[in-house]
Amino acid sequence: MRKSAVTAVLLLLILKGFAQSDSVSIPALDKSPMDMSYYPVDYPVLKISDKVPDTPVARVIYGRPQKSGRPIFGNLVEYGEVWRLGANEATEIEFYRDVTINNKKIKKGRYTLYGIPEASIWTLIINKDTDTWGAFKYNMKNDILRVPVSVTAVKEAIETLSITFEKAKSGCNLLIMWDTAKVVLPILFK
Amino acid sequence: MYTMKFLTVTFVCIALYSCSGKSKKNDKPRLPLQDTVIAQAESRINPFSPIDVSPMDMSYYPVDYPKLKMTNTTVEPLIARIIYSRPHLQGRELFHGLLNYNQPWRLGANEATELDLFRDVTIQGKKVMEGRYILYCIPQADKWTMVFNKNIDTWGLKPDPAKDTYRFDIPITQTDNRIEFFTMVFQKANGGANLLMAWDNVEARLLFNF
Repeated sequence: MRKSAVTAVLLLLILKGFAQSDSVSIPALDKSPMDMSYYPVDYPVLKISDKVPDTPVARVIYGRPQKSGRPIFGNLVEYGEVWRLGANEATEIEFYRDVTINNKKIKKGRYTLYGIPEASIWTLIINKDTDTWGAFKYNMKNDILRVPVSVTAVKEAIETLSITFEKAKSGCNLLIMWDTAKVVLPILFK
Repeated sequence: MYTMKFLTVTFVCIALYSCSGKSKKNDKPRLPLQDTVIAQAESRINPFSPIDVSPMDMSYYPVDYPKLKMTNTTVEPLIARIIYSRPHLQGRELFHGLLNYNQPWRLGANEATELDLFRDVTIQGKKVMEGRYILYCIPQADKWTMVFNKNIDTWGLKPDPAKDTYRFDIPITQTDNRIEFFTMVFQKANGGANLLMAWDNVEARLLFNF
């Protein structure tokens, strides 16, 4: 036991030595890696084969935390609290053209996307304060839109938070899935 | 009991080490810089979107802008953001098989690396307009040619030189480091900031003047 403690301490010191330098600090690889999703789905791949129009419609950039055996909603992510819909930086949603969500026109631009999960209904929030960390500085007065969306239970728990788009009638859907919860936000192209 | 003792010992050692690290910065030979290789836990099957082997990351200037904003630290206005993916060496060497001289490289993996400039900047005496670009580089033995290109939102493999907007040659530095994961970060510099690119034993810097 004592031996392993000493080893652990030595290991920590070595890691610290490696991880620090006088000139550069190299960011370690994140436990909740960042990812991005486009609509049209896989737009960048399609673009190099010239199969898509000049600009995409929407893009989400988010950190992908993992379930790692924990119950998520109502536990790790509390009900009724504003959540960054990801990890690290708050989730960003960008529209490359004006769109309509819940009968409201959303202007082309970059926004932050938050959610307030509850057991059966989430509130999704589009907020204009971008480039921010978590939901710590969330301010309702920067909200552009709040939309209630109902939660569908999925049978098999999803390990990694996933935010993707899918084609839908007169637009696309934004899908947010983690653990056993799935919510869908319809986005209309008009 | 052992756990308590272990934690205490660990904590004290870290504390001591941190202090000594600061005061003795220059008297010991510098260890080669190496980032920690974290084996990504094999993520359980995700039918929607599996975790990538070269995870995406982003770097801001001012450095850590979102965190500074969170802690209400007074910051300069937002100037730049890079979004890139981080391939890793996995036992390979950067310029022996992984990259080739004179072949364009996307400075990352997967999607082309993206640079958002939130204001005009000057690079090597040339004005570079605010806006979104993709960056790629043409590595050569003694320098890299950094290319700003307007074909944004694209996959990194087929750069379209017709949409190149700026090209800058920068020197490279060979180091004793062995950086496992490709890294792009901004660092404050005289009159602006450097975009530092580090991978394996190579470092390259592109100076942005504000």
